[in-house]
Amino acid sequence: MTAVTTHRERLVQTSSRPSSSARPQRGRRGSITHPRGTGIALVLPAVVFVAVFVLVPLLVAIYISLTDFPLIGSYRFIGLSNYISALTDPAFGHALLYTLIYTAIVTLPILVLGYVLAVLVRRRRKGSTLLRTLLFIPYVVGLTTLSFFLVLEAQPGSGAVNIVLRALHITDGQTAWLVSGPLATGLICVLVVWAVSGLTMVLLMSGMQGIPADVYESAAMDGATWWQAERRITIPMLRRTIVLSLIISVIGSFLAFNQFFILTAGGPGTATTTAVLHIYNKAFVQLQLGAASAESILLIIVTGLITAVQFWLLRERDTGAGTTEAQR
Amino acid sequence: MTGITVSGRRESHAKVALYATGFVLSVIVFAVPLLFALFRSFQPATVIQAAPSAATFLHLTWQNFAHLATEAHLGASIFNSALVAVVTALLTALLSTLAGYGFAKFRFRISNWLFALIVVTMMVPFQAILTPLYLQLNAMHLTNSRLGLILFYTTVNLPFGVFVMRNAFESIPAELEDSGFVDGAGTTRMLISVLRPLIVPGIATTALYAFLASWTEFLGALTFLTNAHLYTLPLALVNVQQGAYGQIDFGLLAAGAVVAMIPCIVLYVALQRFYVAGLASGAVKG
Repeated sequence: MTAVTTHRERLVQTSSRPSSSARPQRGRRGSITHPRGTGIALVLPAVVFVAVFVLVPLLVAIYISLTDFPLIGSYRFIGLSNYISALTDPAFGHALLYTLIYTAIVTLPILVLGYVLAVLVRRRRKGSTLLRTLLFIPYVVGLTTLSFFLVLEAQPGSGAVNIVLRALHITDGQTAWLVSGPLATGLICVLVVWAVSGLTMVLLMSGMQGIPADVYESAAMDGATWWQAERRITIPMLRRTIVLSLIISVIGSFLAFNQFFILTAGGPGTATTTAVLHIYNKAFVQLQLGAASAESILLIIVTGLITAVQFWLLRERDTGAGTTEAQR
Repeated sequence: MTGITVSGRRESHAKVALYATGFVLSVIVFAVPLLFALFRSFQPATVIQAAPSAATFLHLTWQNFAHLATEAHLGASIFNSALVAVVTALLTALLSTLAGYGFAKFRFRISNWLFALIVVTMMVPFQAILTPLYLQLNAMHLTNSRLGLILFYTTVNLPFGVFVMRNAFESIPAELEDSGFVDGAGTTRMLISVLRPLIVPGIATTALYAFLASWTEFLGALTFLTNAHLYTLPLALVNVQQGAYGQIDFGLLAAGAVVAMIPCIVLYVALQRFYVAGLASGAVKG
C-alpha cells in the first residue's frame, strides 16, 4: 500500500525550490499532497463493482456448472455431466449451429456494406457530414427498438415489407415472414445488416482518414486506378481496423438475442433459437441452472476462441508481407 | 494537386455523379424506414393492421400517444427506463472518473493488476454469465429491483468508462496538478476545481454511452425483472406485442417504439462529438 510516490517526488522537488519557504507547514500537515492510499481508494469502487457483478458470477458459474443446480431445492456435485450432456444435447447443438450459420450469413455483408458506406462518406463533400450521422442512427437506435418496428412491417397484407415487395411484383404481399424459419432468418439478417453496418462504417472511415493523402497522390501519378489504390493501399493499411470491426460484429452476432426473442421467440419450434436464447430458455423457462451454466461457460470459451483466432490471423499477417511500414 | 488534367477532371465528374447516386440511395435505404416508423406511430391501429388504402392511409392522429400516456403500465415503463438509464449514466460517470483518476495519476502496488482485471471483464460477455448473475442478484435481494438493474448496467458500462477516463486524465499535463497542489488543493478540490474542465468531454462520453446502453437494454431487464410494475419500456412493449394488456394494439406498439427511439437520436445528434471520441478511444484499446 505505498501510495503516490510520483506526486511526492515531484512535490519534494518543487518544495525544495525557494517558493517552498513561503509556506512550509503545508507539507507537514499533509494537505498539500494526497494522503496515503488515495490511489487505491479512488479505483476501489469500480473494482468492487466488477468483482461482485462479473468475477464472482463467473466463478459461481464454473462451480454450479459442475452441479445439478435447480432454482429450488438441494443440489449435488455431478462433475462434468452438464458439459457432456450439453455437448451431446441436439437442441444445444442446433442452437450453436444456427448461431454460426446466422453469423456466417451476416458478417461479410456487414463488412462490405460498411466499407462501401465508409468510401462514400470518407471525404468532405457536400452533405457528407449529414450522411455520416444518418448512416449511424440505426445502430444508435438499437436492434431492440428496430425489431418492434419490424414486427408491424412484417405482417402479411399490411406490413411495409410485404407492400413494397408486392409493388415490385416480387411477391403477392401475403408472406407471413415470422412463422417460417428460413424466411424469418432472412428477414432478421437483412435487419441486422441494415442496422449495424453503420458501426463498421464509422470504424473503417476513421481508419481511412488516418492514411496520408500523399500515398494516394503518388499512386495516382503512377497511373493506379481507383480499385488498384483501394486494393494495394487502403485495404492493407486498414487491416487492423478491419480485424477490429470483424471481431466486434462476429461477437455481436454470436451473442444475438433481442431481435430473435422479439421477432420469432426462437420459433417456429426451435428453428430460429440462437445460443443465448437457448441458454435463456434452459435457465429461466426450464429452470435447469446447472446445465445452463455449463452451456454459458462453453459460450464464453467459443467467443474467446473467436477473438483469439481473429487476433492470431492479424498477428500472422503482420509479421508476413512488408506492407506494415506506413501504418500510423 | 497542381494541374488537373482533362481526364482527371472528367473522372472527378464521374465521382461526383457516383457520390450523388450513393447519397440518394443511402437516404432512401436508411432514412425512409425510420421516417416511415415515425409516420406509422400516428396511424390508428386499425389502419396499421389493414391493407393500405388511399382513403385511410393518411388519416393521422395523436391517439396512440394519448393511449400511451393513459395506459398505466406503459407510462410507468417509460419512467422506469428513464430513471434507470439516467442513474446508470451518472453512477457510471462518477465511478469511472474516480477510477480513471486513480489509474492515470497514481502508482500503487497492484494498480496494473486491477486495471487488467477491469479490462479483462470487457471481454466477458454479460450474456454468458446471466444465469449466475441472476442467482447472485437474487441472493442480494436485487432482482425485481430498479437498483439491481442500475448496479448491473453500471458494471456492464464501467470497463469502457474507466478506459475513457484514464485516457482523459493521462492527457492532462502534470504541471497543472502541481500548481493545484501548490495552491493547497486536496484530492476532492483537485478533481472538482482544477481538473474538471479538462475531463468534462470524457465524462460526457462515458455518460452518453451508459445512457444509450441502458435506455432500451433488453436481455438483462427480461431476466432480472418479473414484476410488471418495474418493467422497462422494451419489456412493456413485448407485453403489448403479446397482448398482455388486453388486445394486441399495433398503434400502441408503434408509438412506444418511437418513444424508445427519439431520445437515442436526439442525444446522439446533439452529442455526436462525444460519441465519436468514445469510438476512437474504444478502437485503440487492442
